Order: sequence, then structure tokens, then C-alpha cells
Amino acid sequence: MMRQVIYALSLGVMVAYYFFGWGVLLQIVLGVITAIAVESAFLALRGRDIISSISDGSAILTATLLAISIPSIAPWWVIIVGVSFAIIFGKQLYGGLGNNPFNPAMLGYVFLLISYPLQMSTWQVDFLSLNHALETVFNLNNIDVISGATKLDEVKNGLSLAGSIQQLEIHSPSQAWINAGFLLGGLYLLFRKVIFWHIPASFLIGIVISSMLLWMSNVDLYLSTQNHLMLGGTMLGAFFIATDPVSASTTSKGRIIYGFLIGVLIVIIRTFGGYPDGIAFAVLLMNMTVPLIDAYTQPKVFGQ
Amino acid sequence: MADYSFNGGIVIKNPYLVDKVEIIQAPLPTKVVLSLQQLGGQVKPCVSIGDYVLVGQVIASAKDGFSVPIHAPISGVVLSIDKQTIAHQSGLKSECITIESDGKDKWIDRKNNHVDFLHYSTKALIEAIQKSGIVGLGGAGFPTHIKIDKVVDCHTLIINGTECEPGVMCDDALMQFHPREIIRGVEILLHICGAKRVIIAIEEDKQVAYHALLTFNHNDRISVNQIPTKYTSGAEKLLIKALLDVEIPSGGFAVDKGIICQNIATAKAVFDAVISHRPLVSRIVTVTGDGVRPNNFEVRLGASFEHLISLVSPNKRVHNYRMGGMMMGIDVADINAPIGKTTSAIFVNNQVQKPVIQECIRCGQCSEVCPVGLLPQQLYWHAKSENIEKALNYNLPDCIECACCDYVCPSHIPLASYFSFAKALGKQQTREQDKSNIARERFECREHRLERNKLERTQMMADKKKVLKEKMAKEQSQKQKVDEAMQRVKQAKDKR
Repeated sequence: MMRQVIYALSLGVMVAYYFFGWGVLLQIVLGVITAIAVESAFLALRGRDIISSISDGSAILTATLLAISIPSIAPWWVIIVGVSFAIIFGKQLYGGLGNNPFNPAMLGYVFLLISYPLQMSTWQVDFLSLNHALETVFNLNNIDVISGATKLDEVKNGLSLAGSIQQLEIHSPSQAWINAGFLLGGLYLLFRKVIFWHIPASFLIGIVISSMLLWMSNVDLYLSTQNHLMLGGTMLGAFFIATDPVSASTTSKGRIIYGFLIGVLIVIIRTFGGYPDGIAFAVLLMNMTVPLIDAYTQPKVFGQ
Repeated sequence: MADYSFNGGIVIKNPYLVDKVEIIQAPLPTKVVLSLQQLGGQVKPCVSIGDYVLVGQVIASAKDGFSVPIHAPISGVVLSIDKQTIAHQSGLKSECITIESDGKDKWIDRKNNHVDFLHYSTKALIEAIQKSGIVGLGGAGFPTHIKIDKVVDCHTLIINGTECEPGVMCDDALMQFHPREIIRGVEILLHICGAKRVIIAIEEDKQVAYHALLTFNHNDRISVNQIPTKYTSGAEKLLIKALLDVEIPSGGFAVDKGIICQNIATAKAVFDAVISHRPLVSRIVTVTGDGVRPNNFEVRLGASFEHLISLVSPNKRVHNYRMGGMMMGIDVADINAPIGKTTSAIFVNNQVQKPVIQECIRCGQCSEVCPVGLLPQQLYWHAKSENIEKALNYNLPDCIECACCDYVCPSHIPLASYFSFAKALGKQQTREQDKSNIARERFECREHRLERNKLERTQMMADKKKVLKEKMAKEQSQKQKVDEAMQRVKQAKDKR
């Protein structure tokens, strides 16, 4: 199951590789190695069976999700620290797979975002060769890649300088294509019935409705719905992050509420919050409400 | 009209399909073992060891109106009446009658009158059904005469021709080869319960059976309906939901809504009992699985599993025997256990590798397939921690243990086993609670009694004291009177 998710991720990863080069893959490799090492160590400490837990693929998935969420030129220790935090504090300390109330990858992401804001907000702009990526990530030479903020960052910072959204010329083919890649991967997961439609659908509807309301209230101030859908990690969040079964709501009705509110929260955080993209915060916030949602959305039992 | 379906359930095509469904007559077993255990009611042996019995002879009679008599399935000598292993997961033993065959298959005298059943009264028909030892042949084995009786205004009689589980073919075979008898049996049941209409439900993948029944059905009150092939549609309440869009309330019975459900094999048995005067001494059992070539056998009740399995000569690697279906069946500990009235199938499988059980990842596939709308993973959580009260809050008793959740669980957790365990635990807790309640009441009664005794005693003592006091006072006054008299006498004396 987790493996299917990893396969589905590969399309989006390949698109990201096409635009940003080897850094993307390097981060994933570093993350996966760290995840396996940390998970094995912890399982050994807890006296659990290592092989069966590693082979379920959940640690690898956590590492992959985190690795593609952070900038591909981030120094090597960033991903290692993030993945370790995600596995240890997000998962193992709660009792391992199935018992964690929070999405481990997003917990790791927020930890990195708060602790290392500089490393977490520098994104490269062009394709990196393997050599170049290695040098950058392992800090062998002085960093000489062209780096900048993401489009969502630009919007956030640019609005205070420019008069209106239109003047910022939001156009980011790379992000749109990456989002398309994750969308296709997500549809594959839906088709294979690995995930249910409830969360991605209500997630996207939440984004569409709330962004539409904002945009219609002031076209100059707020991003259009189309941009909300194509920038940042929208599709990754809708199909791969919010759908994490362990930390998401488990009833059909609950999943719809859960996904919808994540979508709304993302738009609110992107628009009014201090951070450019709000997926991690929105998911973690909604993780907290899952027991409540579940308790109030029990399905009707046959004959009652 | 309903869309002939219900929420949840899973579609599993028969995994051991054969090109042609047939019924093979199993040879007479050399020995049969008949359990005296019945659903609720009680039976008492009316033969003794060494007696010679004929096929169809009553060997254990019903003690009350709830049970049905047991008939000898073969002719021969009663070998023993003692505890024998019956088909049960733990190799449970039960009181059984064992008959050794003489190989002659001699029947009792059967009246062969062909009087139309309509000439009999309803009461006589119900009695005939009971005397023939008919119970629901679908699974639970509830006595048919009770189910069909006591119905105030029954509007619909449903005849369940859906196979209870994927892989089982015994009902399919029965419908293909005995459609005339089934329709006649249904007419008898209809006559007894006086329903307005009958619906015979057949799954869509059983086209031959469907057309066979259609051909022989000339009664305009009987309709033959096809429903989608989906597992758990054989469950009574879900079948009613699919056919009539009526939901039987939790804890309620179909009869309360004027609906009676009978199995297709039961209808055939009713025909045999009423028209052919043949008591229930055999049934059709599907022997299937990846260890054998699937077949249906008509076999005498009480024959051992081994008797049937030897007919299909499985290869030597076969290890796993399962009674009932692949979903709800139970692994049989001892294949010498006898076939009973509700044994619909035996699954013979090559040693199955049990998948490794992993942690629940809360994926929710289980609640998606649960036909009764439960949340199996929450139930599992509470059942595992033996928090029965919480599990009851999540409607544990409504679980029908269909094991759809087991089937889809990516972590291979045996959820249904957890639920049946939790149910048993819940029952035990209620029993213990009742017990301790009774004990407490008894204790309180005793305390109360002692208190009352004490009170009564003090009251008695007080009364006694009072009486004594009065007596003493009386005596005193008498004494005084005497004294006064004496004094007067003395004074008189002194004066003199």
C-alpha cells in the first residue's frame, strides 16, 4: 500500500528532476537512508522486528515526502535532521506505525521550517548537474547557484511593494508542471483504490471555494484560484500528504470535513499567515481535530 | 423498488469455479455420528445401544416444541451413545448417537399418498415439517416449524437462493437439478404462512439455476428475482434490505416486519417431508478449495468429513480443512467430525501461508466494506484493549462477523475474530455482572433479614418485658391487697 504511494510519487519527482536537476534526487536518497537507519535503530531499541517494519515502506514514504517538500539545494544535514525528527518524534515515540496522531513528514517539515528558516526558504531556479548538486548540498564549494524565493514567497513579499497581484506576473511553469505530475500520480492512487476520493476532492474544493471568495472580494489583493491550485505543494498535499491514513479522519463524512477544512486553512495561511505555504500547518492543525471529527461522524449502523 | 443492493460488502468471484455444477451421490458411509445438540431445544435418545434402526427411523425425539427429532440416516446398529468430537474449532465434544451401517440402506415404511398438500391443515403441515427434522439449512439451523409458525400477518416470503459465501455451490446445484421440488416446497411454505407473495432471490451469476426455476414456476404469487453477486447478500437482513429496501431494526427480527426468510434447501426439504414423506437424512455439501477438484455431494448426515474428502482424493500435501465458507468458516481440528444439517461446504486447501499481521494504519478500507456500517478499526482498537464498554458504544453487537473487513485489511488483521472474542468477553462480563448483582442482592437480603430478626427479637423482648412488668405490677398489687387484708385482719385482732 505504502509502496503504491511511493510509485505514484515518482511521476511528480521526475518532473521536479526535469526542472531542478539532481538536487531533488539527492535529497530523497539522503532522506531514505536516514529514515531506514533511524527507524532500524529505534526498532532495535524497542525490541521490535526490524525487517517487517522497514518493508512496510512507511518510513521510506515519510522520508520521500519530506525530501520533496524541502528546497533541493538545502544543505545535507537539513534533510537528515528533519527525517530523524519525523521518524523519532513523529512516529516511534508514539508507538510506531498506526499510532501517530500527526503526519510525521509534516511534523518534520514544520520543525525544519521553524528551526532553519533560511535554509528552508532558498530555492534554486535552474537545473543542477549531479556534480553541481553534490557540491551545493555537501557545501564543498562556495554556493553559486541561482537561488530565489518561490512564487508564493514572492507574492507574500511582493504585495507590500507592488500595487497589485497583476504587476507581480505570477507565472511559474515549473511549479505548474510539478503539480500536474503529482495530480496524475494521485489519480493513479485513486484508480488503484489506495486512497479514497473524499480527502483530495474536499481538499481541492476547500481551496477552490475559499480562494474564489477572496479573489472575488478583491482581484488586486488576492491570488486567483488557478494560481492557488498550481503553485506550492497543492496537489502533493491533496493526494499524498492529507491522505495519510494514520493521521487522517477515518469515517467517510469525517474525511470530507477533514479535507475541506485543510483546503480552507491552506488558503487562509497562504493569504494572511506568516509563512508562504500553509500545507504543513493546515494538516497538523486538522490532525489534532481528527478524534473529534471521528466521534461525531460515525456512520449510521444498519437497523439503527 | 430497491436497487437490489445494500451498502458495503465485497465482490468475490467464486475462486474455484467449475465448468459444470453437478450433484454426486456420495456412497453410504460405514458409520454415522449424530449430535444431539440443537439450537436451543432439547432431544432425548429413544433407542439404546445394540438396537437395529432403519433409515428414517426416529432415534432421538424432541422434548419440547422448539426442537426437532433426529432420524437415522442409514440402516444399521446403534453402536454407542456417548460424547464424540463434533465439527468445532477447538474439537469440542458433544453427546452423540453412533450408528454402524449394515450397508443395506433399508427404509422405514413410507406412506406414499399423493394427496394434494392443500387438503392438509396448516397445523398438520407444520407438524409434518417438525417431525421430519427440518431446520434452516442455510447456516444457523433455526427450526423451520417455529420460523414459519406464529406469524400474524406475513406479507412477503423470501426464499434465499443466494449462496452464503463465495466458493460454495450447494444451493446453486440444488436449484439446477431440483427446481420442480423447490417450487413445490415454496408453495407449501407459502400455503402455511399465507404470505401475499414470494420472492426467490438468486445471484446474477447463477443463470442456469435462474432459468431452471423460471421454467418450473407457474405460480403468479411467486417471483424469481436476480440480485447482484456480492458477498453478504446471503445474510437475511441484508437480503431483505436489497430486495424490499426494508431495514430490520437492530436486535429485531424479520418476522416483526411481516417477512419470513427461508433457505432454498429448506424449501426442498419441506417438499421431501410433505410430499415424499422423507425426513431430513441427507444434504448437499460442496467440497472445494485449491486442494481438490470442486464438487457437490449429496451425503447422509453424520458421515465424517474424512468420508467426503476421501472421495475427492486430495493430494498428500493438504493440511487445512475449513468448514463453511472461506470467509466465515472455521478451521476444523478433527476431520473425523461428522457433517451436520448446517454443513454447507468443506474447503480443502493446501497449506496456506498465513500472512504476517501488521499494525493497523487506519486506512479505513474496513469501514468501506462493512455491510452493516460499523467502524471496524475503532472496534478493533477497543476489542484489542478489551475495553468492551467502548466497543459496545461502537455497536459491537451489530457485527455480523462476515469477515469482509478481514478480507480487505492491508495489514491482514483478523478483525472478525477480535470482534467475536470481544462479544464473548462482553457476554461473560454481563454474566459475571449479573452473578455479582445476584450475590449482592442475596447479601443485602441476608443483612436485611438479620436486621429484621434483630428488630423482631428486641420487639419480642420488649413485649415480654412489658408483660412481665405488668404481671409483676399485678402481683404487686395483689400482694398489696393481701398485705392490706392481712393488716386489716391484724388490726381487727389487735382491737380485739
